[in-house]
Amino acid sequence: MDLLNNLAMGFSVASSLANLLFCLIGVILGTLIGVLPGIGATATIAMLMPITFQLEPVSSLIMLAGIYYGAQYGGSTTAILINMPGESSSAVTAIDGYQMARKGKAGTALSVAALGSFFAGTVSTFLVALFAPPLTAVALKFGAAEYFSLMVLGLVMSVALAHGSVLKALAMVVLGLLLGIVGTDIYTGTPRFTMGITEYADGLNFVALAVGVFGIAEILRNLEDESDREVMTKNINRLFPTREEFREMIGPVLRGTGIGSVLGILPGGGAILASFASYTVEKKISKHPEEFGKGALAGVAGPESANNAGAQTSFIPLLTLGIPANPVMALMIGAMIIQGIVPGPNVVSEQPQLFWGIIASMWIGNLMLVVLNLPLIGLWVKLLSVPYYVLFPIIMAMCSIGVYSVASNTFDLYAVAFFGLLGYLMSKLRCEPAPLLLGFVLGPLLEENLRRAMILSRGDPSTFLTRPISLVILVMALAVLVLVFLPQIRKRRDEVFTESDA
Amino acid sequence: MAHPKLAAALAVALTLAGAASAQDYPTRQITMVVPFSAGGPTDTVARLVAERMSGDLGQQIVVENVGGAGGTLGAGQVAKAAPDGYTLLLQHIGMATSATLYRKLAYDPLTAFDYVGLVTEVPMVVVARKDFEPADFKGFTAYVKENADKLTLANAGIGSASHLCGMLLMQALQAQLVTVPYKGTGPAMTDLLGGQTDIMCDQTTNTTQQIKGGTIKAYATTTAERLPLFPDLPTATEDGLPALQVGIWHGIYTPAGTAPEINERLSQSLQKALADPGVTKAMADLGTAPEPAENATPAALKAKLGAEIARWQPVIESAGVYAD
Amino acid sequence: MSTRPTKPRDTTDLAAGLLLMAAAAFFGWQTRELEIGSSLRMGPGYFPMLLSGLLFILGALVALKSLGREDEPFGRIAWRGILFILPAPVFFGLTVRGLGFVPALFVTTLIAAQASVRMRPLPALGLAVAVTILSTLIFSYGLGLPFRRFGPWLGM
Repeated sequence: MDLLNNLAMGFSVASSLANLLFCLIGVILGTLIGVLPGIGATATIAMLMPITFQLEPVSSLIMLAGIYYGAQYGGSTTAILINMPGESSSAVTAIDGYQMARKGKAGTALSVAALGSFFAGTVSTFLVALFAPPLTAVALKFGAAEYFSLMVLGLVMSVALAHGSVLKALAMVVLGLLLGIVGTDIYTGTPRFTMGITEYADGLNFVALAVGVFGIAEILRNLEDESDREVMTKNINRLFPTREEFREMIGPVLRGTGIGSVLGILPGGGAILASFASYTVEKKISKHPEEFGKGALAGVAGPESANNAGAQTSFIPLLTLGIPANPVMALMIGAMIIQGIVPGPNVVSEQPQLFWGIIASMWIGNLMLVVLNLPLIGLWVKLLSVPYYVLFPIIMAMCSIGVYSVASNTFDLYAVAFFGLLGYLMSKLRCEPAPLLLGFVLGPLLEENLRRAMILSRGDPSTFLTRPISLVILVMALAVLVLVFLPQIRKRRDEVFTESDA
Repeated sequence: MAHPKLAAALAVALTLAGAASAQDYPTRQITMVVPFSAGGPTDTVARLVAERMSGDLGQQIVVENVGGAGGTLGAGQVAKAAPDGYTLLLQHIGMATSATLYRKLAYDPLTAFDYVGLVTEVPMVVVARKDFEPADFKGFTAYVKENADKLTLANAGIGSASHLCGMLLMQALQAQLVTVPYKGTGPAMTDLLGGQTDIMCDQTTNTTQQIKGGTIKAYATTTAERLPLFPDLPTATEDGLPALQVGIWHGIYTPAGTAPEINERLSQSLQKALADPGVTKAMADLGTAPEPAENATPAALKAKLGAEIARWQPVIESAGVYAD
Repeated sequence: MSTRPTKPRDTTDLAAGLLLMAAAAFFGWQTRELEIGSSLRMGPGYFPMLLSGLLFILGALVALKSLGREDEPFGRIAWRGILFILPAPVFFGLTVRGLGFVPALFVTTLIAAQASVRMRPLPALGLAVAVTILSTLIFSYGLGLPFRRFGPWLGM
């Protein structure tokens, strides 16, 4: 069989002693830097990329892939332990993961994240190997109209991220959309909401927003009353999931893997939706939706798997089209070009060793990640026993470095302070940050694709309904809307006094 | 913050000290600012030459990516830096076009910098979706003129290489196509591959592999002569459209007031780097070639910048598109 | 906490609603110079204007629903935290180029450490030194990030 031969070749490339070593170094470095608060996968890769330039092309890319997985996992670790996500995907993990940590189940959350990611990584690696070319053909059918409909679906789903008032969640989404508009309009070059500050011409920095509304707001909350000694329960009895918890995570992991794999293929930003979509699905089908937002296991297992699966399959457009699906992939392309490999549709046939070597190393990297991180969980959890007043100045120092290193833009640091204040204000007013974040991420995509679809259809709005894929997605959005609001409306009468988060 | 006056005094002192010690330059690490994000084509060019120049200068040149506002943020930062030869800027044609595209620029591109030299000029190719009807470039020009209002022209955003080339193309053909801007080359190319848009004109860095893979159709190059990479592909000039000549040229700058000896020293180092076979090979993979030694000089870059600012001003003004 | 004899209302939600309306008004006011265009050929102001309007309505709804409901305690406010945590990244941003990475990070950590009443001056100093040394080793020496360790304001 061709596939087996190819995979065998891939593994023989990836499992040379040197390449294994580079993969391991990559995973370790990625984890160590990515675990620093405020430093997400993009910043980690940008920092570590120059190290790989000296290596052979295959080794360099294998090491970079290792860094990527390590950074992703490291980012989830900080999201769970201190509520400081460095990527949009780990913002979802932070919702329930951090609550688990507060209940003394940090170890469980971390191992569930690791195991779910590993499973998802394994499945989607094989998906990449088996179906990369045909999947690419499907992905190319997605034009502006389809992406617009997809973003609408994502926004509708985002309401499920909130565990309090739906109305306020909607308001947060819209506020996020508005914040996402800050910057130069790509169609006319007009600056919008930038207050005349050129440094914001490319929009507000996502890391600044995430660190501010999640992490810094949380630090401020913890500083409200210091006589209340413990932020975290120290009574951590178990690091690994019980058999029961294992059984509980199977469903979410499987569904998350499916959702993530599908969305990751779309080069126009589908992977962004992966963890959000998984969270929504889990909350919707859970028998205990009220647990979400308060430390639901499925709220960590599903999104983490979806995220990793999406991260994996987002290599498909990169490897088969030479087109980056996200900033991380753009960095990978840069690394390839510097190595003298210009990614394009011919990489598979012209550089089979490279193509299959990378695919094999994806799986090896995931395996190493699990092997490396399961023992490390004990160590991460111990970090929580560091007194909080020692921990948070370190967090502030690290996130200052992290935010600055993304684009060397000092205005991003001022944005951190602003969003910290905004996040704290929001928490005082019982508004949740996750819908805001999703709105912020989707806003530019939503508007960009809406306007582009209208240009391409010469101003005919029926384009969203006459294009079949777009129509199907819109119908799905409508279905979700009904599912979300119907119970709300029914419940309305019982909740005259206690509609907000109980 | 702190004491601005003190800071200014120190900066002046540093400048004097820098001028005095131009002979033994460089004595410490040099920063090369790239006004775009890491991993992009400009960043690639910068890292290629920075590595070779480091070897010659005996001091490390580190690349710092200061992205934003079409490269004007990074350029502005270098314009304000101390002219001591330890802060360089590598910027492409955007240095010339931003003079017109940005009406509120914080610096004057013509006076805020000194020059080191030209690095490379990346050629561009007019491409279309793979099932685009015309068979050759002559057919293309006729077809586009006739169906202009039905055709879409993609670009990677205002001020991008594809936007500049697109403006020239429309002006040369005297046809107004429906332009579809994207955020960067990646998404623009995706939609062209998927047949969502019709035409684009972009650097070989982005188009070569797709043309070779047969996923898009190439019509003509925008160069003076045919490219060794595609010997069968005509130039726009030879097929009757001489106005469509454009390349994405890259230059290295220092802040205005840098000692001429330092610029000269950097220029020599640049020339050596460009003569390196490794650089030639890496650039050939990207579909471009290093500039010959006589262009990697302060005088050549200065002349180029002046000429290009003058060339693009009417083009941009008549298109009426501004980036701020 | 409904001690007052007035009609019950949820002050938190009322404040949230009013603030959302204020934010909407601010964004709406900022869009006034942007070209709206038509729904067929949307200008840069179209989408923001739509969203500002939507946010205003949502804010109004939140505020309206807060009336006739019991209040929930607002809780304490971390004034000390706000005073020291938020300026820390701002200070870093203002000085990282001028003073350089090492001194900027040192002072940033020191400022942030003041946010807790439980942090004594000496341990704070020690922590700042440790964080600065480790970060410099990791980011500047280890990863070779293009930070200037000591900036031009120090004459180095």
